[in-house]
Amino acid sequence: MIRSIFAPLMVLLIAIGVHGLVGRYDDGYWINQLTIIGIAIILAVSLNIVNGFTGQFSIGHAGFLSLGGYLAGSLLYYGSVMFFQTRPEPGFFSFTQPFDRMDPTIVWWGIGDLFFLCVCLSAGLFAAVAGLIVGLPSLRLRGDYLAIVTVGFGEIVRILIESSQRQVPLSRLNRADGWDLVTGWGSAMGFNYIPKFGSLFWVYLFVGITILTAIRLKYSTHGRAYLSIREDEIAAEAMGVRSTRYKIQAFVISAFFAGIAGALTASSQGTINATELAFMKSLEIVVIVVLGGMGSVSGAVLAAVVLTYLPELLQAETFARYRLILYALVLIFVMILRPRGLMGTREVWDVFRRRRGVQG
Amino acid sequence: MTAAKLEVQNVTKIFGGLTAVRDFSIVVETGQLQGLIGPNGAGKTTCFNLLTGVYRPDAGKILLNGKRIDGRRPSSITSSGIARTFQNIRLFRDLTVLDNVRVACHLRARHTLVGALLRLPNHYRDEAHIRAHSIRLLERFGLLDRSEELAGNLPYGDQRRLEIARALATDPKILLLDEPAAGMNPAEKIALKELIRQLLKDFPVGILLIEHDMDVVMDLCDRITVLDYGQIIATGKPEEIQCDEKVIEAYLGCPAHSVEEAVQKDLERGTDV
Repeated sequence: MIRSIFAPLMVLLIAIGVHGLVGRYDDGYWINQLTIIGIAIILAVSLNIVNGFTGQFSIGHAGFLSLGGYLAGSLLYYGSVMFFQTRPEPGFFSFTQPFDRMDPTIVWWGIGDLFFLCVCLSAGLFAAVAGLIVGLPSLRLRGDYLAIVTVGFGEIVRILIESSQRQVPLSRLNRADGWDLVTGWGSAMGFNYIPKFGSLFWVYLFVGITILTAIRLKYSTHGRAYLSIREDEIAAEAMGVRSTRYKIQAFVISAFFAGIAGALTASSQGTINATELAFMKSLEIVVIVVLGGMGSVSGAVLAAVVLTYLPELLQAETFARYRLILYALVLIFVMILRPRGLMGTREVWDVFRRRRGVQG
Repeated sequence: MTAAKLEVQNVTKIFGGLTAVRDFSIVVETGQLQGLIGPNGAGKTTCFNLLTGVYRPDAGKILLNGKRIDGRRPSSITSSGIARTFQNIRLFRDLTVLDNVRVACHLRARHTLVGALLRLPNHYRDEAHIRAHSIRLLERFGLLDRSEELAGNLPYGDQRRLEIARALATDPKILLLDEPAAGMNPAEKIALKELIRQLLKDFPVGILLIEHDMDVVMDLCDRITVLDYGQIIATGKPEEIQCDEKVIEAYLGCPAHSVEEAVQKDLERGTDV
């Protein structure tokens, strides 16, 4: 019993710790950086469940990210007014700025925070349902068909959102009917003025949950079934592994966390734009997973941190335009020097265990 | 222990214009060891693929304990009690030896995905059970001291044995072995023969064995079925098969008497044979 609860409890404590410490001592720079890094970790680790564990190749992760982000955005923007009349104020845990800007009368935990949690989960579920719809037909096939379908899916999502109606301003909200709200996803302008709830607490809570899910999957009967599909689908079937079912399961779990990452993106930046979440964004996530090592959770985390913070470290202004060239070069070199990614299929702790084993 | 019976009735498989297997019938029961032999390309592995659901038969029936299993998915056929090894070894190379066997034990797990993610008590119970069972199997096959190694790094003979261990982990009633002795040296072959004999005593299975090594086949099998060009040309006890005209013809490419005549002529001419 204790071992089941210990890890989730640690996740909660770490999330509170990161939120408290960084919020207390930072002037805003690190809050922003750590948010971006955290979201990249969620995306990489969740994509790794499909690409790394089951060995399928999905390059449409940004599609699920967009879906989750826009659903969360519209729920927070329209929904908070519809459900609560006025916008609920974020409590302590959802405070996205340095603490010295905090109103001293702030509540620890308000209705707004609970609402935000529900929004995150519905964004995840929304993306998961989309994942199920995409996965059901395409995951029956073997080989590279999934890659093609997921590219198509990502583009469909982007184009659908870009051709949606303009966002309804809050001042005209009482005159708008339901259809305006459902279709009012901001067209190509993006969805803006989203209430900010996506604090470091929420980001790292979900980072922890994503990593914990991936690790617990990997070391369980269900996760081993995923890995066996990656290794040899025919042999896996011959061992009684229902491959289609497990592939869809992995795909849906992966989409769920991508949707949550979308909700966190929307509510931490206050804006989300599908145009920026196009094919290149999906590719970025794939690059992180490939670089980290297919199937290695710790490798994905490591690569997500490095590849997200590297451009920042190397002076974002001048560097940004060469980023894609660098990505290509990094990929080429990694594929030559370490064709299975930084970590291969192993985890950080496997490396240490092997060392100890050799010495002992 | 209930006896199981696999009945294959007049199964036919056609690829385009080629009839790979025609009217194939065989019965395998618990405790039996049947051999399936034939020249290269005779359709032996196709038969295995039909039995395990990789291919659907175009005609005929496959019954396990009287229930039809043809047309079902491979995973479903495995869960009903037929397991196999592969001619070209198909281990999960990047998983450890232990994990290879644990994957095959997964039908024993009763807990759901949620149980695994929340680490509910039934997850730990199933995992402990699966681990214990896998370790017992590995011990039985002499692979326990290699359990943490990656399967792809094992020596060839060990890989072959791991494939058998993995197939047995699914608790099969019928075990299909596709050329288990391929690529083994004589010492390994003798050990393998002993292992297979022992399996039959220790596990409640019937075995269907494809093998090119006549030594292994003739020593082990109770009955042998010979395939040529997708058709059964002979069935019987090893000693009957050995002197069957059609079998010798299939293997040597000409009738047995003509071989004898040729040998006789050569002898008469005084040339070396």
